Amino acid sequence: MRSTDLLALALAALFAAPLSADAPQVPTEPVKPTPVAADPEAGRRLYDRYCTQCHGAEGKGDGPAAEFVYPRPRDFTLAIFKVRTTLSGQLPTDQDLFHIISEGLPGTSMPAWKKFLTENERWQLVHQVKAFDSLGLFNEEPAKERVVIGAAPEVTPALIAKGKELYQQKKCWQCHGQYGRGDGPSAQGMKDEWGFPIRPVNFTKGWRFRGGDRIEDIYRTFTTGFNGTPMPSFVDAIPAAEDRWALAAFVKSLSRPQKNAQVLKAGHITGEIPADPYAMEWEQAGFADFPLAGQIIKEPRWFKPAHDVITARALYNDKEIALLLEWDDGTQGADQVALQLPVQPAGNEKPYFILGDERRPVDIWRWNAQTGLTRATASGAARQTPRGAGNLSAQGGYRDGQYRVILRRPLKGGEGEVAFEPGGFVPIAFQLQDGDNGEEGLKMALSTWYYLLPQPPMPLSAWFWPLGIGFLALGGELWLARRMRTSARRAA
Amino acid sequence: MMARYTLYLAVALWLAILAGLKYLIHPPMPASVLMIYMTLSTLGILLFVAADEARFQAFLAPLKSVFEGRAPLAAQVLVLAGIPLLLGWGAWLRTAPTWDAPFEPRVVHPEPPSSFSLHGRRIETANLKNPLRLPDPVQLEKYTQEGKTIYYQNCFFCHGDALAGDGHFANAFSPIPANFRDVGTISMLQESFVFWRVATGGPGLPKGATPWLSAMPVWQNLLTEEEIWKAILYIYAGSGSTPRTWDEEAGHEKH
Repeated sequence: MRSTDLLALALAALFAAPLSADAPQVPTEPVKPTPVAADPEAGRRLYDRYCTQCHGAEGKGDGPAAEFVYPRPRDFTLAIFKVRTTLSGQLPTDQDLFHIISEGLPGTSMPAWKKFLTENERWQLVHQVKAFDSLGLFNEEPAKERVVIGAAPEVTPALIAKGKELYQQKKCWQCHGQYGRGDGPSAQGMKDEWGFPIRPVNFTKGWRFRGGDRIEDIYRTFTTGFNGTPMPSFVDAIPAAEDRWALAAFVKSLSRPQKNAQVLKAGHITGEIPADPYAMEWEQAGFADFPLAGQIIKEPRWFKPAHDVITARALYNDKEIALLLEWDDGTQGADQVALQLPVQPAGNEKPYFILGDERRPVDIWRWNAQTGLTRATASGAARQTPRGAGNLSAQGGYRDGQYRVILRRPLKGGEGEVAFEPGGFVPIAFQLQDGDNGEEGLKMALSTWYYLLPQPPMPLSAWFWPLGIGFLALGGELWLARRMRTSARRAA
Repeated sequence: MMARYTLYLAVALWLAILAGLKYLIHPPMPASVLMIYMTLSTLGILLFVAADEARFQAFLAPLKSVFEGRAPLAAQVLVLAGIPLLLGWGAWLRTAPTWDAPFEPRVVHPEPPSSFSLHGRRIETANLKNPLRLPDPVQLEKYTQEGKTIYYQNCFFCHGDALAGDGHFANAFSPIPANFRDVGTISMLQESFVFWRVATGGPGLPKGATPWLSAMPVWQNLLTEEEIWKAILYIYAGSGSTPRTWDEEAGHEKH
């Protein structure tokens, strides 16, 4: 058999499978009535005050801020909504719209309005959003049934394993990648219903899941799909609700919470610092996340950076220190990462966080996926002087939807660079650029100042007080117990 | 009766007070204040227990039975080993190095300078007023709406859609961006102060306010004077606050 025949057979099997299986298990219930009647005047007034900046005066998603945010604000005129409790292709219920307005959309600039608006105000906004429906769909074919999510099953390793199998079988990895980092072969160049670019979600970043990252939320997304996006409903492909729960449990198991820190602590090791970024020692080193923002101060201002966080680990031995920097990228592109340090420590004073200033220059270590390591001294964005790498070395690469880069330098500082010593805090800042997002020069995501600390091993003196006080108390107790027992015996 | 539980009740009460002070009060109180309250609570409980001889004996009874060896062996070991461990652990928490970031004292609302540079001109802070805060409501509304557009094309990424300091870039910064809905920010400041902060940004802060920690741009490099005033009109209107004014101050002084 030729390979094309095999492929045809495989495809036929895939499409035949749902037909032979049971009908989709999607229990539904009638939509609840809307508790608050529309007051068009109030709705319009609230909308003008709180929503036009992004969603536009006519609800087309073209407000003055629309060009400056990713993802773009929703265009209400086509009545296509992602996060719903209704079947694929159907309109959302009023409660669904109320839920989005109240809770916001994680990973976007849509805030949770329940913090700022009363329930009644939010219901008026629901009515106003529906009023922008230019096709009259909310009148003609409103949702009558909503999906019953039900209670999530107990999450067991077996359930997760089953979900993992389904993830392979149903080809979730084609968009979301084998490790869920949004890096599947089809991830590139996706568009939504409006022709705007859209990226598959990175399953490791639960805090960015649009519909929420509870297992119930993930199950709902599989069941209803995201209308207007390439994310379909899986009720036909995975008819058994139990299987969809398994997949939800697996996806949930891929994500972790963000772990922000002010200090990146480098652990001390006795041997060599491993050159392999996947080595066990790096796993044990522990990590910290550093959130990033677009560089919007210096021209060209960059409002829509591809990356929102960088993860870092650090190790040191008696000779050198090394940082392992990690970031997920659905599209390999030619990324660049930079670590910024002051040229000279100056108490708690630090250089300007964007490439230093005239009085306090910065030392910048850059690693680029194409050109490798470069180094510069900068005293401002426009005053950058390349310098030799010196004792600095770097190695990095891209694997499984993730970049990992190791930057390594001797502890001892040479000319024009800070020295690292155990217990000494050194300011650091991060800059990250995604080649596929056209990021170069000042178009980047960046952080303000944090600290890198080569953490000294716990000194023996640290045990003095705890052990001293503990033993003193024990001695006192034993003395008292002995005395009291003697006198008790005597009294008896 | 209840007497045999006196010690346990006292310990439970002490723990309840600790939990209440630690978890029910917002914002959390400083550790030193908590320490004072807990010392007072300890003394109070001991005084109450010791005030009555019978109660005091009931309180001591379980301890006595441990020390005199009448209590079950497990209880004896638990108490005799538990107390030193607890004390040692407490000492560890207080003395072990934690490697937290160095403490950097920061003046949140520094004294504004008497004058500052704006597009190459000197601006006197004392007499600075928002020239666009007009009595005509139609004009004022027009400028405020223009300010809104400026806000959402420049400021909202950090200061947030609802002006609560929680924009999608906000958590990349420490200190976090100002929350304009907080009564401790713009509503207790005059517009001249806000103008100075916006126009000169982080780098314009005096040393005591740690300019190197602020990510606030120097907005005069990106906006005109009029645009800054319009944006200021909007942040007050949008957050539902009003600027502090000299007239009010004078009024207060007259009282």
